[in-house]
Amino acid sequence: MIEIRGHARGGQGMVTAFEILAKIFAEIDDYQVQAFPAFGVERTGAPIQAFLRVSREKILNRSNIYFPNLVVVFDETLIAQVPVLNGLKKDGAILLNTNSKIEDIKLKTKNIYTIPATQISLDKGLGTKSLPIVNAAMIGAIIKILDIDINVVANIIADNVPTKPKENSESAILATKNILKSKNITDELKKYLNEDSLDENNLDKDIVFKSNNQILDFPSWNKPMSINKTGNWRVVTPKYEEKPPPCSTNCPAGTDVRLFVKQTSEGKFADAFSTIYKFNPFASTCGRVCPHFCQQSCNRIELDSGLNIGAIERFLGDKGITRKFSKSPISKTEKIAVIGSGPAGLTSALRLRQKGYEVIVFEALPYAGGMMRTGIPSFRLPLNILDKEIEAIEEQGVVIKLNNKVTIKELSNDYDIIISAVGSHKSNKMKIPGEEFATDGINFLREFKLENKNYDINIGDDIAIIGGGNTAVDIARTVLRLGAVPTIYYRRSKNEMPAIPHEVEEAINEGVNIKLLTTPISYNKNSNGKIVITLIDMILGEPDKSGRRRPIKIEDSEKIISVNKVFSAIGQTFDDYVFEGKKVKVEQGKIKFENNKPVFCCGDMAWGGTVTEAIGSGNFTTDEVVAFLKNQNYSSKDNPVNVVLPADINYNYYLPTPRHENPVVEMKSFINNFTEVVKGLTEKEVIEESKRCLHCGECYSCGNCYNYCPDAAIHIDELNRLRIDYDYCKGCGICFEECPCSAISLKMDEVVNESSVN
Amino acid sequence: MNQVLTDKKVTKINQKYPRHTQKVLKGNYAASESAVLCHSTVIPAYPITPQTSIIEELSNRVSVNKFDATFINMDSEHSVFAAAMGAAMTGERVFTATSGQGLFYAHEVLHGIAHFRLPIVICNVGRPSIPWNIWSDQSDSISQRDTGWIQYYGESSQEVLDDIIQAYKISEELNIPVMVVLDAFYQSHTSENIWVPDQELVDKFLPKKKLSGSEIDLNNPKSFGGLVPPDSYGNFNHGYWNDIIKVEDLTNKVGKEFEKHFGRGYGAVEEININKDTKQILVTLSTITSTARGVIKKHPEVGILKIRLFKPFPRKSILKVLSDSNVDKNKCKIITFDKNFLGDSEGALMQELRRALYGENYFIQGVYVGLGGRDVPPSTVENIIETCKTNNDEIIWIDS
Repeated sequence: MIEIRGHARGGQGMVTAFEILAKIFAEIDDYQVQAFPAFGVERTGAPIQAFLRVSREKILNRSNIYFPNLVVVFDETLIAQVPVLNGLKKDGAILLNTNSKIEDIKLKTKNIYTIPATQISLDKGLGTKSLPIVNAAMIGAIIKILDIDINVVANIIADNVPTKPKENSESAILATKNILKSKNITDELKKYLNEDSLDENNLDKDIVFKSNNQILDFPSWNKPMSINKTGNWRVVTPKYEEKPPPCSTNCPAGTDVRLFVKQTSEGKFADAFSTIYKFNPFASTCGRVCPHFCQQSCNRIELDSGLNIGAIERFLGDKGITRKFSKSPISKTEKIAVIGSGPAGLTSALRLRQKGYEVIVFEALPYAGGMMRTGIPSFRLPLNILDKEIEAIEEQGVVIKLNNKVTIKELSNDYDIIISAVGSHKSNKMKIPGEEFATDGINFLREFKLENKNYDINIGDDIAIIGGGNTAVDIARTVLRLGAVPTIYYRRSKNEMPAIPHEVEEAINEGVNIKLLTTPISYNKNSNGKIVITLIDMILGEPDKSGRRRPIKIEDSEKIISVNKVFSAIGQTFDDYVFEGKKVKVEQGKIKFENNKPVFCCGDMAWGGTVTEAIGSGNFTTDEVVAFLKNQNYSSKDNPVNVVLPADINYNYYLPTPRHENPVVEMKSFINNFTEVVKGLTEKEVIEESKRCLHCGECYSCGNCYNYCPDAAIHIDELNRLRIDYDYCKGCGICFEECPCSAISLKMDEVVNESSVN
Repeated sequence: MNQVLTDKKVTKINQKYPRHTQKVLKGNYAASESAVLCHSTVIPAYPITPQTSIIEELSNRVSVNKFDATFINMDSEHSVFAAAMGAAMTGERVFTATSGQGLFYAHEVLHGIAHFRLPIVICNVGRPSIPWNIWSDQSDSISQRDTGWIQYYGESSQEVLDDIIQAYKISEELNIPVMVVLDAFYQSHTSENIWVPDQELVDKFLPKKKLSGSEIDLNNPKSFGGLVPPDSYGNFNHGYWNDIIKVEDLTNKVGKEFEKHFGRGYGAVEEININKDTKQILVTLSTITSTARGVIKKHPEVGILKIRLFKPFPRKSILKVLSDSNVDKNKCKIITFDKNFLGDSEGALMQELRRALYGENYFIQGVYVGLGGRDVPPSTVENIIETCKTNNDEIIWIDS
């Protein structure tokens, strides 16, 4: 007869494991078996014992096992709390669930087997995050020690586990391959399976470990309950841990969105503005024109609708930009030239100026702001808003030289660093017959806005716009305001349109026509001066490199339309004048360009395509420039880990609350009306909206953990902070489950109480 | 192939039962299995540790349509037994299970069921009351011994399963309810080898319940539970007495009949190694018997008298064992193992044995052992054997 004693924590599945082992032995070879638990305080995490006897004879002993041949420990922390080796026979062995090396294990026996059962179970997704169920792996290890073919028993395991049969039998099989044993181990336990049981009276000399009959650990029942420190029942440990929210991690500019929303909800508008300004000097602009990647990834979308972060940012920007900005002294010797005064160039210039470098911005046009000024119509971004933000940058010491179209070479003698941020202002060509009849869309937007050229567009004109990006949509909405009838032709479907979705919707609401899955193949001009476009229909094929489905022409689907004007808006590229026409591979940060001074790039010409991405690009390049000047290695920030996702949020604790939408101005007529279409929210609305924040990954002291902790192990300390008392926390994981915002993590490592307040 | 098979010694356990399936079951699941095999039709239930898994299993089987019975979740054990009583009155075959406090709470209704003469079979998984404890103890069932229920104490999962089948037979023949008692954990939660008979085998032994004609019948209204005046009351007791005295013989008869069908025989008592040279007879109930069987292998002078039918106490069978084995009254001690404390000097088993052996002049010693789940390893049984060799105290507390 072999006698096996198991030590585990309630919830690890040991009792089931021993039952399954009993079934295995009875099934494979008609053994007599007996498996039973020694019930103690049967709660999750409590130390428990179970017993297994396997014999060729009828088993005539129904008591606990005091002299085991094999001791099995499901949780290694039990070794310090329970005399697991008690009564172990001299040639007996211990099987320990641990990741530790055998030589690092301090035990009074040399016969040690180890198995990383917790790791195997976590890998196979068995159990919960607070308590991995390790029993299948432990069964596999025991089966291996007793030299039984796992393939014979894998199906018995699968048949007898309550859930996940495949994962359980797989982890048992995996365990047989991962079991390790100490050097010089006796490793002959299997022989006891077929031997008669030993007379207990003759046992004494066989016992190496003192038996005090006290292998069960009962809580003290006749003293105050506080002496029963149950913290050592823990398998995993809950810990308050701030995690990155999706809004902040998805902001291309790097803004701490969660923080400024929180500050706004507390009415601390100036602080909130500073939070944004640290990363983004164009809060007012971005509040209006950014596609708000933060909003798109907001976890609140799963509940009702995402937070209107754009409106909050716009409010903060409009309020904050009126403040007085101070100029930092020039403390560094290096001079830096920035070519281009768009969002990337100005952000980079401001950052470097704030750090004490002298920065001069060279702008080819007679006005600063880049695409923000030339490409975005004033009904989306009023000029005075942009002016204020650029003035603030100048106020802080950045010098902008307008009407200065320069090359890198020209600047290289006077400056130590040259940053090229010239943007993408040159329209791409379609390379189709008759392209000369098409009008350059990006030029039109600029010249119309800043030079009042209306390109002879008359009321009632049919205007075709080719493309699906923001330029196309902005042209359509502009010509609509000139009384024309705009139609956008886009070669893919609406889903693939690169334009900001809500801008597309607004355009459609205003009356812009959109024809999808069609593209021009030639332009011509007919006798009455109209432009004739031959269009061909498209179908979507496999996804291309951008992840969007590739449009494929449908044979013989050509049709002809005639319009008064056709605008081409199929994307832009940068003007290579800055490189004197040389072919250069542009990318964010330092580029390879033959020059006596180092050259960096940022903005649309290198990356992105929206204002916010350009700002982020400016920040990125700034950091690299600073590192370069300090002779340090620059490594871009790692991708954030543990970002809070909808699955981490406990939505039950949030009430659905309607989103505060930006009001849209109702206009009787669009003709010649270029006033801003979308309005901001009031202060009251902004505060209410910011209070809709779920606080993803950051404790907001809701007290759920405090209320739900079944062991009253969570308290509020002298500084009014929630704290876990690890002397009593059993690791049940309820606080983790009930935390609305995922501010608590479960950790495998042990944690002890902090010493008082610090 | 599996390596164990190649170096296998001759299997010592070669008992095979035809028309059975070999399984590994816990005592509690054996109880559930048996209730299903017996076609119990109504299961009113309320959970309590360590009985819970019996009714959980039955509830589960009803919910997946694998057991054609009405499962009723009640609000307390008092209600459970009231519902059991009502269902039995309509002629249903009722099964339920409880433990400790649950049984204490149902005490009033237990009397009712017995004296309404309702054939019901229940399992009680023994646990004590106060000091609060959930472990194995027999004070709950034994303190119900005067409620009029028949009580069987089993030694293994197999016996639980077999006892329930026989209990229905006896209960329905005499119209007296039966309590099959399990030891908490040592039996209820111990997985062990068991032979589960095929349904046809059980059906042949235990036919469908016959109706007596006195059931609740909507077409033939009757009163139940009316006030019985003094001049009639004793007649009911006398009628009951006429039947309760048949239980011992019927237990032996049904046990033999069971052996014919199933291959395993049972009696009111079981004698192990009792003969004219026996110096000690250990009188045991339930699982301690198994451990004692192992210990006496080294003590040829010690025998065991296992009491399977505890209530009504099998006096005739015990006297028969003692006289047939020519036990020497002057040399042999009879030692009772009491896993119950009921507020008297002797434990219940000693009281009953003294009553049974009144006038027979045996030397009877009482040992309190295994109270409140205290483990009884072979060394404790050894200790009792050794202690009783020299110690002649009437009552011995072996664990304290």
